[in-house]
Amino acid sequence: MTVLIQAQGLSKNYGAKRALDNVSFEINKGAPVALVGPNGAGKTTLFSLLCGYILPSSGKLSVMGYTPGSAALFGKLTALPQDAQLDPRFSIAHQLNFYGQLQGLSGAVRKKETARVLELVGLSEVAKQRPDDLSHGMRKRVTIAQALIGSPEIVMLDEATAGLDPIHAREVRELVSSLSNEATFILSSHDLTELERLCSQVLHLDKGVLSEHQARSSTQDNKHFITLQLNQHYDDVEAKLAGLADVHHVYMSQAKEYVIEFEKTAEPFDINLLQFCYQQGWQYRQLVNGHTLENQIFHKES
Amino acid sequence: MTQLHPKRLAQIAQFELVRLFLTKRGLLAVAAFAICWLLILRYPIAQSVTLISSPDFADFARQAFGAIGISKLLDWPESELAVYWLVALFSFPSFCLFLCSDQTVGDRQRGTLRFLSLRATRSEIIIGRFLGQLLILAALLFVTLMATVAMLGYREPSLLLSGLSRSFMLLFYLLVAVMPFIALMSFLNTFARSSRLAFVLAILFFAGGNIVIGLLTWQWPAFEVLNYIFPGYQLDLMAGQRAGVTLALGLPLLQTAVLLVAGERIFARSSL
Repeated sequence: MTVLIQAQGLSKNYGAKRALDNVSFEINKGAPVALVGPNGAGKTTLFSLLCGYILPSSGKLSVMGYTPGSAALFGKLTALPQDAQLDPRFSIAHQLNFYGQLQGLSGAVRKKETARVLELVGLSEVAKQRPDDLSHGMRKRVTIAQALIGSPEIVMLDEATAGLDPIHAREVRELVSSLSNEATFILSSHDLTELERLCSQVLHLDKGVLSEHQARSSTQDNKHFITLQLNQHYDDVEAKLAGLADVHHVYMSQAKEYVIEFEKTAEPFDINLLQFCYQQGWQYRQLVNGHTLENQIFHKES
Repeated sequence: MTQLHPKRLAQIAQFELVRLFLTKRGLLAVAAFAICWLLILRYPIAQSVTLISSPDFADFARQAFGAIGISKLLDWPESELAVYWLVALFSFPSFCLFLCSDQTVGDRQRGTLRFLSLRATRSEIIIGRFLGQLLILAALLFVTLMATVAMLGYREPSLLLSGLSRSFMLLFYLLVAVMPFIALMSFLNTFARSSRLAFVLAILFFAGGNIVIGLLTWQWPAFEVLNYIFPGYQLDLMAGQRAGVTLALGLPLLQTAVLLVAGERIFARSSL
């Protein structure tokens, strides 16, 4: 596995406030990585450190072996920073061309690149327009386009789908998914379902402290889990599920959602569970192999 | 200074030229500039022969610019260039403060610098934009100088060649003279919150700084040396062609270097 990003004991203080507290992690080349956490948890601070927009107060951070912001990373690491806007005085194509030029692309290549990335985000028709002529969602997609110019190896998208309508948010997710073989995406979002679909590694920040999760972990300390979501509320679900063969423990993680810990045997537990639901007349909505990301991060079983 | 890649520097500088000549706001600034200079060309420069030879002119110049001693200028056969030199030497630096007030601050506030800083070093951005502004000033100086030379040629065709040769020398000295003014705005842009604030800070620097140094000098005359920190300190002497090379070129170049290095250091450490 190629290590792309390595952080050791990374801290960032803003005056007396500690935004990141002794954070250490590694990101390998491959599947998209999610960065989650509540508002003010330090996600944007970590993004800004990785992009070289700010300097750490202490600790070490290396991106592909270089210090963030180093010229060696130009064209290799691209980003959609939160709330950053293109210059309203120039056309979209003019600015994307300029970014391509700075990345070292020749005239014809950068024109093709501009057309290609605008097509990827479904905005070929706005190339000649200025950013101020576009809606908020379109401006967001254009800034995603700038992050795809050339052949970046790391693409960081901070709240890429925030403010987009469901159709375009889905298109962006599909785009990330389709490009994830070419570049390693690092995504920050409040939409955990979205991140769960796309990412395998999850970095969870809370009050500047980092913990790591797997997006779909079906095992934990040799225990096996399944998450069952039902369509509506039924009586005594926990008790009835606990009575099933091989089940060790059941708890309700949130309304109409149950986490079942079971022992793995030769019998297919998931098939048995679905048959049991059918027998009980329960309509299920979703069966998740393992914990949902939301439960991993936020649920503390009492 | 950190990495400076010549190609990226040139690309950033070139982009600044486009900003002035291909954007609405830039074209408006050029239009305002052109109207002002049309008036200057039409009146003081077109009537330079009578103006320079007028006994009132020296009095007027003394009142307007202080005791600058312009006797050398009166000897120039190209009187249009003499008047151009006086007007340009004092107007371009002030115009510069206004024209160059938004070098990086607007992009920093908008977040556009975050896109740029993933493709160019901060040193390249600040120096590239300084060079871009210098190119713009060079273009504006060149156009106004050529218009002045054209008027000179129209009045006296035999002076055209000598006028051209003198005008290139003036262009060089004027460019060096405006450099520290552009660099001052590059420096102020690294910490000001808006272009307007950067402009106000520049005015405060000149007005407040002169008062403070005046008071210090009044108590301790040795503090007079502090006047050298002000861009344009040599302009009075340059106007009368009485400044040596060290003062006319060395001082502004040194001021430019100091301001750019200080600005680059602040910019490199600031948050984007």
